[in-house]
Amino acid sequence: MNERESLFHRLSAACGGHGAAAEEPLPGGPSAAPEGDRVARFVETFTAAGGFLLRGPVEAALSDLGEMLRAEGVTSLFFPEDDAAAREIAEALVPFGPFILTTGAEVRGGSAAVTAGFRAAEAAIAETGTIVETSAGGKTLLPGLIADVHVSIVPVASVVARMEEALAAFTADPPRNISFLSGPSKTGDIEQTLTVGAHGPKKAIALLLPP
Amino acid sequence: MELNANAFGRSARKALLDKTLQEALGRTTGRFLAHRDAAVAAFPEFEATRERASRIKRDVLDHLDTYLARFIEEAEKRGTIVHVARDAGQAREIAARIARDEGVTLAVKSKSMASEEISFNEALQGAGVTVVESDLGEFIIQLAGEAPSHIIAPAVHKTREEISRLFERHLGEPRTDSIPELVGMARKHLRAKFLSAGMGVSGGNFLVADTGSVVLVTNEGNGRMGTVLPRVHLAVVGIEKVIPRMADLPTFLRLLPRSASGQTISSYVSIVTGTRRAGDPEGPERMHILLLDCGRSAILEGKYREILKCIRCAACLNACPVYQSVGGHAYGWVYSGPIGAVLTPLLVGLPEAAALPDASTLCGACADVCPVKIPLPDFLLELRSDAREQGLKTPGEIAAMKGYAGVMKRAGLLEAIERIAGVLGQFFTKGKGIGGLPYPFSGWTERRDFPAPAAQPFRKQWKIRRGVTR
Repeated sequence: MNERESLFHRLSAACGGHGAAAEEPLPGGPSAAPEGDRVARFVETFTAAGGFLLRGPVEAALSDLGEMLRAEGVTSLFFPEDDAAAREIAEALVPFGPFILTTGAEVRGGSAAVTAGFRAAEAAIAETGTIVETSAGGKTLLPGLIADVHVSIVPVASVVARMEEALAAFTADPPRNISFLSGPSKTGDIEQTLTVGAHGPKKAIALLLPP
Repeated sequence: MELNANAFGRSARKALLDKTLQEALGRTTGRFLAHRDAAVAAFPEFEATRERASRIKRDVLDHLDTYLARFIEEAEKRGTIVHVARDAGQAREIAARIARDEGVTLAVKSKSMASEEISFNEALQGAGVTVVESDLGEFIIQLAGEAPSHIIAPAVHKTREEISRLFERHLGEPRTDSIPELVGMARKHLRAKFLSAGMGVSGGNFLVADTGSVVLVTNEGNGRMGTVLPRVHLAVVGIEKVIPRMADLPTFLRLLPRSASGQTISSYVSIVTGTRRAGDPEGPERMHILLLDCGRSAILEGKYREILKCIRCAACLNACPVYQSVGGHAYGWVYSGPIGAVLTPLLVGLPEAAALPDASTLCGACADVCPVKIPLPDFLLELRSDAREQGLKTPGEIAAMKGYAGVMKRAGLLEAIERIAGVLGQFFTKGKGIGGLPYPFSGWTERRDFPAPAAQPFRKQWKIRRGVTR
């Protein structure tokens, strides 16, 4: 008997007599329910998680966004090659700089510049103030991972009420990576003092685009 | 990790005299608890969610063979290589073999209590692999050469001055008393490690059976970095961490951060499944999961099986008056607080940790905050009784308890003793507590004050209040 068979032998002995496993999810959930205005709730929860929210239209938001990035010392902007929404915003921001455009590969290679990574969110969750990013279809995760500032582009139509709705698309065959990003990277490990930017972005900005 | 649980008394005394630790403990546990209470109060469905989570976990334990088999099948279908270890020695061998076979020389690790159980870092170091802890708290105590003292805040016992000295010595950074600057130094140092490491090592907060996914919850984003950037990902996880389906995950995600730190959700939740797919620009080419039994299947068989519902939130630590006083190191192994006092004896054997179930006042605060409703006080009491049956209590202790039971069962005798004690007590102690009783009771008062006997026993006061006099 190999180690795995032996484990299952022990488990079966310990589990005997409990009948079949529940084939359906147990009743009673899900209910953590921000019904009503999902978008208003998202604005509230995303802000509570430490994120900064800007509302479109894009032309109006650009100058505020440019100012925020300059305040963080950002000099380089990058976005996924195939992400048209992110590209559009990043390119439009250049005149609000001084910003230069770079690539994720370059930043990963070890760039000394302070960077902002732009990416379109696949969904946003009102319940928790979460931006959902996945690797589905070969998408990159670098903008929300290694940038100093992360800018998510969130069409209001992509805001869902609860975590269940965001995960529903992935119950059968999830991609390698599904990430829930809620606010900036945080740590309280030194004297329980909340500090941002432990590993990931020091600032998380969501640009909420009207329909 | 080296086991030193039976030295609880000695270690606790040392902890009580450690001023820095006492300040840190007061600050940390109080803050975590206050945030937790506020988060629970702001979430009306907490109780219903807790009940649901408890039921899901019970279903999992009742059918762990089914769910674990499903998890392994789904994980393997997506390219994950699954390993099973019966005990710590076997787990260390497997981990070292994986690192060697993958040609890894540097590994970045995110927080994992399970990996502490098997002394994972030592195993890899033995195989010539450098392991860098990437959780800031773990990184700090790794530099200091210490063990974590709290599940979610491993470096609570370190001040910024101590940390700055460590960073000066080990990273060559200038001294500072600015916490953001210290965080920035660690970020810079660890970023370079993430970008060059061959393997990312993680634990797993949950394993999703119906998709073969590993779920990681962090605030810093280190779990995410280590599972996206390096070429190989190894997750070291206990077999009990499985949940049936992706649809069950939100229930647990609503409980874990609220119970741990009072957050609605942690900054990062990563759900990782299999290896990188064709066309993915990042993600590991190879994915290993090392499933640990290490005593869990034996627990599953017995009366303490519900302890395996634990989601490692540490709420019971923060709520425990004993933990609040002595911190994590006194418990002498990986797990501390009430969960440690139950889990450690079950995982390492009661004779090796019989002191721990006594490290509790049985106040019940742990059960009140447990998000999956583990009856911790019942288990603590039951373990004490097991310890007696296994001959792990001293004859003096047993005789004292027998005497106590004999008195408590006889109302007249109790009353007589109360009267005598009341008079003597007032005379000798002047109403203050008793710091030291003579042998055979000296062992008891060594670590506790005995309250002075009341001038009027409780039962008499009760009768007078109820208007019954005689």
